[in-house]
Amino acid sequence: MIEIGLVKITDKKYPELLKKIGSLAPKKLYYKGNWDNEIFENCLSVVGSRRLTSYGRRMTEKLVTEIAAADVTIVSGFMYGGDEAAHSSAVKCGRTIAVMPCGINVIFPEYQKKLYNEILENNGLIISEYEGDFLPQTWSFVQRDRIVAGFSKAVFVTEASLNSGSLITANYAKKFGRKIFALPGQITSDVAKGTIKLIKEGAEPVMEANDILSFYKVLVSESKIASSQAPRNDDNTLEQKIINYLKSESMGIDSLARTLNVPASKLGTTLSLMQLKGIVNQEAGKYYVN
Amino acid sequence: MLIKVPSVANLGLQTIKVDVEVNLASRGLPGFEIVGLADKAVAESKERVRTAIVSCGIDFPAKKITVNMAPADVPKEGSSYDLPIAVGILSSILEFEVPEKSLFLGELSFDGSLRHTKGAFLMALFAKEFGFEELFVPKDSANEAAAIKGIKVFPVANLTELSQHFLKRKNIEPVKYKENLENIPMPAEFDMKEVLGQEQAKRAMEIAAAGGHNIIMIGSPGSGKTMLARALPGILPPLNEAESLEVTKIFSASGGIPPGGSLIKNRQFRAPHHTASTAGLIGGGSKPQPGEISLAHRGVLFLDEFNEFPRQIMEAMRQPLEDGTVTISRSKQRVQYPADFMLVASANPCPCGYAMHPKKNCTCNPNQILKYQKRISGPILDRIDLHIAVMPVDTTEFQNNQKGSEFLETSEKIKQRVVFARQKQMARFTDEAIHSNSQMKNSHIKKYCKLSKNVEEILRQASLKFNLSARSYMKMIKVARTIADLDNSEEISANHIAESLQYKPKAYESA
Repeated sequence: MIEIGLVKITDKKYPELLKKIGSLAPKKLYYKGNWDNEIFENCLSVVGSRRLTSYGRRMTEKLVTEIAAADVTIVSGFMYGGDEAAHSSAVKCGRTIAVMPCGINVIFPEYQKKLYNEILENNGLIISEYEGDFLPQTWSFVQRDRIVAGFSKAVFVTEASLNSGSLITANYAKKFGRKIFALPGQITSDVAKGTIKLIKEGAEPVMEANDILSFYKVLVSESKIASSQAPRNDDNTLEQKIINYLKSESMGIDSLARTLNVPASKLGTTLSLMQLKGIVNQEAGKYYVN
Repeated sequence: MLIKVPSVANLGLQTIKVDVEVNLASRGLPGFEIVGLADKAVAESKERVRTAIVSCGIDFPAKKITVNMAPADVPKEGSSYDLPIAVGILSSILEFEVPEKSLFLGELSFDGSLRHTKGAFLMALFAKEFGFEELFVPKDSANEAAAIKGIKVFPVANLTELSQHFLKRKNIEPVKYKENLENIPMPAEFDMKEVLGQEQAKRAMEIAAAGGHNIIMIGSPGSGKTMLARALPGILPPLNEAESLEVTKIFSASGGIPPGGSLIKNRQFRAPHHTASTAGLIGGGSKPQPGEISLAHRGVLFLDEFNEFPRQIMEAMRQPLEDGTVTISRSKQRVQYPADFMLVASANPCPCGYAMHPKKNCTCNPNQILKYQKRISGPILDRIDLHIAVMPVDTTEFQNNQKGSEFLETSEKIKQRVVFARQKQMARFTDEAIHSNSQMKNSHIKKYCKLSKNVEEILRQASLKFNLSARSYMKMIKVARTIADLDNSEEISANHIAESLQYKPKAYESA
């Protein structure tokens, strides 16, 4: 049975950190899930563009799984794209809080119902300042951002274009005096412009999970990092060549065929086998080294 | 005086004999009557016959003329009965014998000449089967009928010539069949070597052509999907004799053979627009006509913008895709047309089209993309063996990189490999009712696609890793069989399976 309840700002249960944002703190919090105050102890807000790139998704998955596994609660806004990537990486190995722009009984976007349930099943929380059946409004998304920022000691922006909701969240965090992390992206990418702006303004760039975890005074054990696969030294030269090229840039099979001067049939065969061995992976038509 | 002139009726691809009985009675008021379930076009034949005979300088008899078409319970349609009716009347006036063992078909013009009429080829096949020796057909339709050996086909230019022939004054010479290359549509608009980049897509096309597999291409606008599809006919093997007869039959029934046309030797490439009606695509009408899927028989049906096709049409294609035939049932008749085609579909990844584009930004939200994907019927996707993503080509890459040209094979070269692989399949399936790898059912796969332990293990791992359904699993084996055939290998090796995995069904992905 999923617990449904209401916490008022005057209650003892009300998260301390959120109360500190003063007049902006929501008076009431409706919630679904198992409310225990442990979940609010170490929170990291992870937000990102709705138009997350495959790079953004991959990095979110990689970093957030490690962070969530270290018992840091991932807070985000349940939107598709960056938020969704953060939540779904977190449910795999930790706890996560979704702050809704609508009432807790409304699932928005609707097709993320599976994720909604997964959050609850994995001991997470669905939280909103709005009553049960309140429908999302254009202004409620922005209102929701201040709560996302308010819950956490730090905000991690994965990808954001200028003028995006993710930057609004980051601005709230700045206002509340919270730490800001940003994921560096390619300067040509639209959704890297926001994060680069944040870094310029003093946000800390994130290269690995420990960059964030050290802030929380927890570290991933060395062994855990080592277990992420290093490319094997195979005597198969085509494989080695492919690895060398993909290390510097992820590529589609056609350009790889041209660069290596190998027929697509042979290259396809090799790439399939490498994929099965877990050496490379494919997303959005491009291959990259794991 | 009663005269019997034999002709035929075509019900779909089935031909039955129709006796046109003409009676000229001296008693009764002069008139002209047709009985025997004739449709509008047949009933109008009265006027054409009367005027044509008069145009030839013959007095139309002022008698009570009654025409009966037997059997009387089969609906007769079309204008092909003009000639038998006219011959019946002429035979009575000019007093010549209608030769036995002959068949007549043709539409008359007011000036007494004969026009190209559909169905001559089907009639010739019927004549051959039932021992008719002489065919009288319009001059323009004679060549297609003459494709059938062993019967005399007389090309009739007009009624005067025909009367002279029967009165033994001046004979019409039977036509000699000649292959008419002009009437065969151009095989392909593009050569494969004109398609820059797209190495993997071209390879997939080769496999599809070799094994007759259905294929779907997903990619942004301008990435080259249509060009690839239009280049496909150039790498398809030519029709063999039996296939050529099948295709010509369908075209003869639908009136698709041009005047003076001959047997169809090229595989057809049909590309109906997505606003086509169900009847136009599947076949139909109160007198069921073959649709695009039948006209694409043994050839290619290219459906561009696949997700724009109405759901109803997609679902209607399921059964033909499975069986290779389509049965069109109407209250008055049931007709079966062959529809064994290779489906080539192309689609955009999302409503704006740029979800997979490396440079442009997609403006769709995931919900829109999901809805867009769902427009393609799942069961149809299940019947498509090869799924490929077509990425836009960066033209600057080709200007700077001369290496690319080494990959550009001509269609002719690819075709050689395709023909070779098809021959292997023909030999393999001599005892079966199928003729290509794509048609294999599970029992065939068990029999002809034995996998070694090692290969089976790879496939098992792959299905775990990529979450392949049982049906996809079987599809991969079928595709691997074709890849092995292209490689001239009896055994399906690990490499063949590995390559087939490249063409597994994929979810739409965003860049």
